[in-house]
Amino acid sequence: MSNLRTPDAERRTVPLRTALNRRSFLGLSLGAGAALTLSACGGGSSSAAGGATSTLKWGWALPTSWDPLTSSAGWDVHSLSLVYAGLTKLDEKGDAVPALATAWRYNTEGTLVTFTLRKGATFSDGTSIDATAVKKSIERGRDDPKSLIASQLIGVRQVTAVDPQTVELRLAEPDFQIPALLAGKTGMVVNPKVFENDAASIATKPAGSGPYTLVSYVQNSKAVLRRNPNYWDADRIKVEHFELYPLPEPSTVVASLKSGQYNVAQIPGSQVEAARAAGLEVQVIPSMVVAVLDVHIGKEPFTDPDVALALKYAIDREELLKTAAFGHGEVTRQPFPKGYAGHDDALDKLFPYDPEKAKELLAKAGHANGLEITLATQKAEGVPELIQAQLRKVGITAKIESIPAAQATQIVYIQRSKALYVDQFAGRDAATQAFQVLFGKEGLMNPGRTTSPELEKALDEVRRTPLDAPEYPAALQKATGIAVRTMPNVFLYTVPRILARNPKVSAIPAYTVVQRFDGVTVS
Amino acid sequence: MRTLRRAWRLRSARIALAVLALVALLAVAGGALAPHDPLAQHPADMLQGPSGRHPFGTDYLGRDVLSRLLAGTGLSVAGAIEAVGSAMLLGIVPGIASVWLGRTVEWTAQRAADTLMIMPFTVFAIAVVGALGNGMHQAMLALGVLFAPLYFRVTRAAALGLKQAQYVEAAELMGASRRWILRTHVWSKVLPTVAVTTAQAVGQALLVVASLTFLGLGVQPPAPTWGGMLASDLGYLAQQPWAPLIPGVAIMITVGALNILADAIRDSSGGQEQASPAEAPLPALSPPAAVGSALAPVVAPKEVEDRVTTG
Repeated sequence: MSNLRTPDAERRTVPLRTALNRRSFLGLSLGAGAALTLSACGGGSSSAAGGATSTLKWGWALPTSWDPLTSSAGWDVHSLSLVYAGLTKLDEKGDAVPALATAWRYNTEGTLVTFTLRKGATFSDGTSIDATAVKKSIERGRDDPKSLIASQLIGVRQVTAVDPQTVELRLAEPDFQIPALLAGKTGMVVNPKVFENDAASIATKPAGSGPYTLVSYVQNSKAVLRRNPNYWDADRIKVEHFELYPLPEPSTVVASLKSGQYNVAQIPGSQVEAARAAGLEVQVIPSMVVAVLDVHIGKEPFTDPDVALALKYAIDREELLKTAAFGHGEVTRQPFPKGYAGHDDALDKLFPYDPEKAKELLAKAGHANGLEITLATQKAEGVPELIQAQLRKVGITAKIESIPAAQATQIVYIQRSKALYVDQFAGRDAATQAFQVLFGKEGLMNPGRTTSPELEKALDEVRRTPLDAPEYPAALQKATGIAVRTMPNVFLYTVPRILARNPKVSAIPAYTVVQRFDGVTVS
Repeated sequence: MRTLRRAWRLRSARIALAVLALVALLAVAGGALAPHDPLAQHPADMLQGPSGRHPFGTDYLGRDVLSRLLAGTGLSVAGAIEAVGSAMLLGIVPGIASVWLGRTVEWTAQRAADTLMIMPFTVFAIAVVGALGNGMHQAMLALGVLFAPLYFRVTRAAALGLKQAQYVEAAELMGASRRWILRTHVWSKVLPTVAVTTAQAVGQALLVVASLTFLGLGVQPPAPTWGGMLASDLGYLAQQPWAPLIPGVAIMITVGALNILADAIRDSSGGQEQASPAEAPLPALSPPAAVGSALAPVVAPKEVEDRVTTG
């Protein structure tokens, strides 16, 4: 399906500056004293890395839950993929390829898909992964009252274990997106032996069959993982020990990478220059992540479509990208990045920055004399401040309200108590799943929970089209067009995954959707 | 008053007062004196170094740092004063009352003060802000409550000695009312101690306010505060390694001036305290020692010792 064909999709590895250059740069910019301190730090890190053999320490994010069913953030797919495997996985381009299933076959109508399971695959506790286990896992995702992925599986009418190696999914409607859908959180196979006895324990003790198993976990602090020799593709997992940390502070991330606290970490655009100067390797990996404003059209003042529409014209996306992301990424008006099958270049001409038009729309909605709104965000600095200033130019006074990061998904997605929220969409494994999350009736990022019948019809058409059919991109783009025109979400810019790493860590594979570490080594 | 006059004779006090007068002026009129709108963003000029147009450069949204520093003075200082003001109210009144209003009041007030003294500042402020909403007043009231035991103990210690001074007892025998005694004999003797404590406490409060705004509590962006500026500058060290120095120096100079002033007042009042007939029967609670012990949660232990010996 998703073909990221642009040259951007190639991994952009930054060549390492020579040590001499680096040192002279530091000497010039920070003075001799600072340079001495920093080179001393560098010495420390090399000895630390030498002592702990083959540990990858990733400063990234910890999941909201280790249970794919109750995980409430799309971002969790990265950390959960360390401990869970699915029937399929997405390759670097975003196409579904075999994982726990070695092959799958659709009937011609697209209403029945048959997966052939890998022989001898086991969960990390040694229980065998057979058709019954897969059936139970999928049914739990669809039927459990606590499941946040239930809406993704609503079209799966019946799961049958034909024989220990064969699972059949009978669908309510034709849907060719299932193999891609099952590559993500939705398809992670959870061990039935565990959830039948103590389902609550999975939130802190994952029960999967992924490349790693969780050894210890301290909430908001650290997860220690160890290579799972039972993983179906264990040969490609080279690093024995893996540690996962919450997102590092922008101000200290480069120092932490140098000191060896992390050896791979996500850094913001503002730190790219510093990381390169410090001798770290920086990879800018194009991702499916898009910055977006979630608009709740069930809450005042966005109940008036003109006010919601005015937002789209009032925001200067170029300025946001240049200032807040230091130019890393691209301005966008749609949920899919360039190169993805669902991306339509024509849509990027919609909603140009036009404060006059925004003012007109606001006046039409009866807010000619100004309007007060609250802009919710996790971090008030940067993008929200810029948006606040841009909105002021069209007569909207926005009060910034910060929400604690730990409660954000609960407050925004589940209680739906914020009218306008500065958010990022993590992308999804299947195109229709992305639509479901952003625009669907149960969509987490559709706080108004309203849908458009026209969009539902177009999506139905997408589902009925095999991913390799020539008409697939056109069908998907049509749906994107309807969504962008009719739904209130304000898409802003794409957010590439910027990973800085110690040169001792080999290049990180550039997976667009889920970051995996296949083949990565730490010397 | 005599103490303050004596303090004025010290050069360090005059310098400190001059600095504080400047800070006070900026706190009141900083926004008006700012050369640019402290909130006006010019993303095209972001993270610029010092220039004629922007003497302290621009921040991550292209806002003029000098203007933000000037406009931020008010919020930073007002916060500290609000905290100390509420602490005075909550501390001095019970402090004096505990000496004159009998044993029940005394015991209750002392236990309350003991309890509050074990609370850590920042954590308590975060908890209060979490419960009452993220606003400057909530955060400052929380701080005021925690600073109150300082005033309570200082006032109580001073008043305890005075209560048994012969001239106070004499006045009582002559039939003077409690109010008259408090006004004439007690208040003027307590005042220098309170002044020292206040100068110290405002300095401390300013630091705590800076820490809280650094953590994003109290004042919401884009409103400028010194602590908030410091926090956001740290995100752009690669571009502007010198930027955190600007709000840092502002905080340092103000707190330093307050501490110097406190020292000067204490030095000038020390002689008077010792000369006063109020050498208390409870030496452990004599005013200078009490100042030291009451400051214990705020200042480093070594400093406390200094205070005890030099006070």
